[in-house]
Amino acid sequence: MDSSIKTLDELKEFLYRAMQLEHATIPPYLTALYSIKPGVNQDATQVLRVIVVEEMLHLTIAANILNAIGGKPDLVRPDFVARYPAALPDGETDFKVGIQAFGREALATFLKIERPAQRPDHLVGKDLIYRKTPPDITALASHPRHEDLHFYSIGEFYSAIAEGIKYLEAEAHEAGTTIFTGDRSRQITSEYYYSGGGELFPVTDLKSAQAAIELIIEQGEGDGGGIYDDDDHELAHYYRFEELVKGRYYQKGDQPGHPTGPHLQVDWEGAYPIKENLKVGDILEGSELREAATAFNTRYGEFLQLLTRAYNGQPNLLLEAVPMMFEFRNMILELVRNPLPGHPGKNGSPTYEIPGGIKQPAVARQAEVNA
Amino acid sequence: MLFPLESAIRADAKTVAESGDYDIVIVGSGISGAIIAKQAAEAGKRVLILEAGTGANVTLAGYDNLLTTFYSAASKDNQSPFPLNANAAIPRSPQLRKLQAGETDSSNYIVQSGPYVSDTVYTRIFGGTTMHWEAKTPRLLRSDFKTHTLFGQGLDWPLSFEEVEEDYRLAEREIGVSANVEDQQYLGQTFPDDYVFPMRGLPLSYLDQQVNKGIEGTTVELYDKTYPLKVRPYPQGRNGIPNPAYDGGKGYRPIGAVNTHQVEEGGRCQGNTNCVPLCPVQARYHSGKSLAKAFAVSGERGERLVELLPQAVASKVNIDPDSGKVRSLEVKVYKDPASPAHETITVKGKVFVLAAGAIETARLMLASGLRSTSGLVGRNLMDHAYLLNWALMPEICGTMRGTSSTGGIVDLRDGPFREKQAAFAIDIHNDGWGWATGAPTSDLLELVDDRNLYGADLRRGMVDQVSRQLLLAFMIEVMPVESNRISVDPQYTDALGNMRPILSFTVPEYTMKGAAYGRQFARTVFARLGARDHTHYDPSDYGYVAYEGQGYAIRGGNHLAGTHIMGTTKTNSVVDKNQRSWDHENLYLVGGGSMPTIGTANVTLTLAAMCFRSGRDILKSLH
Repeated sequence: MDSSIKTLDELKEFLYRAMQLEHATIPPYLTALYSIKPGVNQDATQVLRVIVVEEMLHLTIAANILNAIGGKPDLVRPDFVARYPAALPDGETDFKVGIQAFGREALATFLKIERPAQRPDHLVGKDLIYRKTPPDITALASHPRHEDLHFYSIGEFYSAIAEGIKYLEAEAHEAGTTIFTGDRSRQITSEYYYSGGGELFPVTDLKSAQAAIELIIEQGEGDGGGIYDDDDHELAHYYRFEELVKGRYYQKGDQPGHPTGPHLQVDWEGAYPIKENLKVGDILEGSELREAATAFNTRYGEFLQLLTRAYNGQPNLLLEAVPMMFEFRNMILELVRNPLPGHPGKNGSPTYEIPGGIKQPAVARQAEVNA
Repeated sequence: MLFPLESAIRADAKTVAESGDYDIVIVGSGISGAIIAKQAAEAGKRVLILEAGTGANVTLAGYDNLLTTFYSAASKDNQSPFPLNANAAIPRSPQLRKLQAGETDSSNYIVQSGPYVSDTVYTRIFGGTTMHWEAKTPRLLRSDFKTHTLFGQGLDWPLSFEEVEEDYRLAEREIGVSANVEDQQYLGQTFPDDYVFPMRGLPLSYLDQQVNKGIEGTTVELYDKTYPLKVRPYPQGRNGIPNPAYDGGKGYRPIGAVNTHQVEEGGRCQGNTNCVPLCPVQARYHSGKSLAKAFAVSGERGERLVELLPQAVASKVNIDPDSGKVRSLEVKVYKDPASPAHETITVKGKVFVLAAGAIETARLMLASGLRSTSGLVGRNLMDHAYLLNWALMPEICGTMRGTSSTGGIVDLRDGPFREKQAAFAIDIHNDGWGWATGAPTSDLLELVDDRNLYGADLRRGMVDQVSRQLLLAFMIEVMPVESNRISVDPQYTDALGNMRPILSFTVPEYTMKGAAYGRQFARTVFARLGARDHTHYDPSDYGYVAYEGQGYAIRGGNHLAGTHIMGTTKTNSVVDKNQRSWDHENLYLVGGGSMPTIGTANVTLTLAAMCFRSGRDILKSLH
C-alpha cells in the first residue's frame, strides 16, 4: 500500500494526528511530574518539567504547520485526547503509554516514547506495519486512511509528513500556486510563547515548515543518533531520561549510553503510589475523590477548548492558559496525595477522560499577563 | 542541571594564584561585574571574577535551594533566602535595634555608629544584590544629573543625560526591561522616535487601577505650582511580552539565566508576589543571566574566557608605590562557609575592577589603606529614604495580586520645589502592609489569637483584612553629604579577619522636609480614596526620626550610592566619568558608589548603564 500523502486534506489529517501525538505525551509526563513527593527527586523533577514544556512547544509547532496550510487545529474533537493506555509504534510492534507515577516503570515507557527507532536493513523500503489494535485503544501515529496500518516509528510518521509537504508544495508550485495559504495572523510566535524549550517561529513556507518538523524530531530523539540537538546545545529527551536511569549526567563528547558527567540521585520510592490508568468509573461514587477527578477532567477540557481558540486566530489567549496550568498542578496534587477507596495502598490520579461538549472556559477578563 | 557549564568555569585557588595572564580581575558577580565581564569576554579578553559567596546558586538546583530556604524561613525578610555565611556576612534588617545617643552597635555585620540606624542591605552571593532586587528600572531624569546647577542641592554629574542615554538603552537591553515608551514620557523624559523597550509594559495591578480611579484628574499644589496626579506604570526588569518592534523590527529575545538550558532561562512573569526576595521562575532579571552568557564565550583555542572563583573574599588591594598602579589583590579563599579556615592567595592581572557594591568596595579600599587624593572614599553615602504610609481601602482591591510593585505616583519626582525639599516617587505595594507591619502573618496571628477565628470565618477574615491593604512607599531623594559615610576600624573584624564596614548616617534636613510633606501628601491621597489611614510610627522603631515636632520611621531603600563618587577632578571625586580611579590608573571602582546623585530612581539601571561605559574604557586601556 502506498503510505504517502497525496492530497492537502490528507496532509491536514496527518497534522491533526501529529498534534494528537504531541499532546498524548503530556498527560503521562505531567502526571509523573506531579506524582513526585515534595523535597525529593530534584533532578527528575527538572527533567520532566523541561520535557513537558517542550512537548507543549511541539504541539504548538504542529498547530503552526497546520495553520500554515489553511487547516483548523481542533483539540476538542472527540478522539483528540488518547484513551490511556494508548498504543505507540515501536518498530515492528507497539507499546502502551499509560498514566502512572514516576518510577522505573514510567521511565522505561518514557524511554520507549523518545527512542530513535530506525528500520533494520532487511526492512528498509518495506511498507507500513500491520497491527490489529483493539477498538478501545487509541493507536497514536497510525495512518489516517488505514487504521490497521502503522508507521514503524514516530520518526517515520513525521518523515511521511515532511515528504507530503514537499510533494504537495512542488505540485502546487508547478500549478503556479502554493499550499501555504494560511492566514499569517494565526501563527503563534515567540511573542506569546517563549522560554518554552526553543524558538517558536512562524511557518509560512516550505523552508520554515521543514525546520519546524526537524525541531520536533531533534528535540525528541536527537539528531541522527547524536545525544545533542544540532546546536550541540540541548540534550535530546531520550538522553535526559537515560541520565535518570543511569544516575549520571551526559557531558559534551559523550557517546550515547555512556554518560560521564557528574552523578545524580534518583529516589525511586519518592513518588505517590497512584493507581495506574485509573478511570472515573473506578472511583467510589459520591466520594470527594471522584468529584475531584471529574472537576479536573472538566477543567482540562476547558483548557483544550482555550488552546483551540488560541490556535484559531486568538494567540493572546495563550496568556490565559498559564494560570490554568497552575490550577492543574493544584488539582492533580489533590488527587495524587489522597488514598483511593477500595484500593489499599493506592492513591487517586487524574484520568484524562475529557467529556465532550465543553463550554467556553471561564475566562471573562481580557487576556493579560498577571503582573 | 542538564549538564551544567558550572564545572567548566569554576576556577580553583591554586590555578588562579599561579596564573598571571588575566586581562581583567573583577571583584563581585553582581550586575556591574557581570556587564563588564560579558563585554570583555566578547572582545576576547580573559576575565577572572572573584565572588565572596559560595557560588552554589550558579546552577538551577542551587537557585532552587535558595527558594526552599526562603519558603521554609520563619522570617520572610528580604535576605531570608540566603544561607548564613560568616565568611561573607550580609546585613539583615530583623537584627537591628534602636541606638541610644552616642552608642555604637557592633553586634551585626555592619557596625551602626548612628545617629540614625540604617536597615539598608545588599547581598554577598553569586549574582550580588540582583538576587533580591525589586527590578524597578526607572531612568534618572535629565535634571537629576545637574541638581547643583538647577536647585543648588547635591552635586552635578560630570556627564549629562544625553551622554548616558545610549548606555541606558544598552542597560535596558541587558536587563530586558518591560515598559511602554508612552507611559514613561513624563517630566520631560524623551526617547528616540523609533525606540521601544525590549518587552511590552506589564499591566497595572487591580490595586493600582483602583488607586488611579480615586486620584486621576486631581492635583496638588506645592510652592505655587500645580502637579497633576495619576498612577503610572514602572518600567521593570522582568519578563513580559517581547516587543516585536524592538531593535528596528528584529524583536527581542528574552534573557537567559543561571543555566544555558532554555527552559531554565527564566519564564514569563506569573505574578508571584515574592519578587523580593526571589522570583520562583526567574522571570525577574538577575546578573546570573548575563554571566551565563559571559561564561559561554570561548577564546581562540576553545577555552572559556571568563572564570569564576567562588568563596574568595578580596581582603587587600596592593599598590605599586612607584607607578601608583594596582599590582595585585590579596584574596582569602575559604573551604567551607561554616569555618573561617582559609588560604590567602595573590591574584594578578592587568586591570582590576572593584564591583562589590557601594559599601563593600569602599570598605575594601579603606581596609587597604587607600584613601585617595580627595579623601572621599567611603564618604557621601546615599540611599533612598523610604517613608511608609498605609491605609485600608473602602473596598476589596485584590491586594497580594501581581508583582511587588507595578505602578506608582511619580509626578513629584521633579519640580522647582527641589530648591527647598527633596523630590519623591511613590510606589504602590501590591503585597499589602507587609513591609510596614509584617502582614499577612501579623493579620493571621491577630485573627487567630485575638479573635479566635478558624475555618471559613478565618478564611473570610483574612480576605477582608488583607485584600483592602494599601501601602504607599515614598522613595525620597537623599543628597550626598560627606559626613554620611562608611569607614573601617581594626577593632571590628569579621570571621576571616577582614575589617567590617562602619556606617554613620543622618537623614539630611532636605530629605526630612520631603518626608514631612510626603506624610501630608499621603493623607491627601487617602482622603481622596476614602481609605482609612492606619499609619503609625513608633518612637522605639530603629528608624525613628523626629522632625519639627513630628516623628517618622525612615527605612532604607537598599539603593546604595556615593562612596567613591564620580567627578571632574581628582580633588573633588574618587573616580572619573569612566569610573576609573583618579589615583590608580588600572583600577576601576564601579557601581552605585560612583553616582553623585540618585534622584528618585532605583539605582540599578543607571549603574548598569555606567558599567557599559567603563567596559569600553577598560577595553581601550588594554589595547
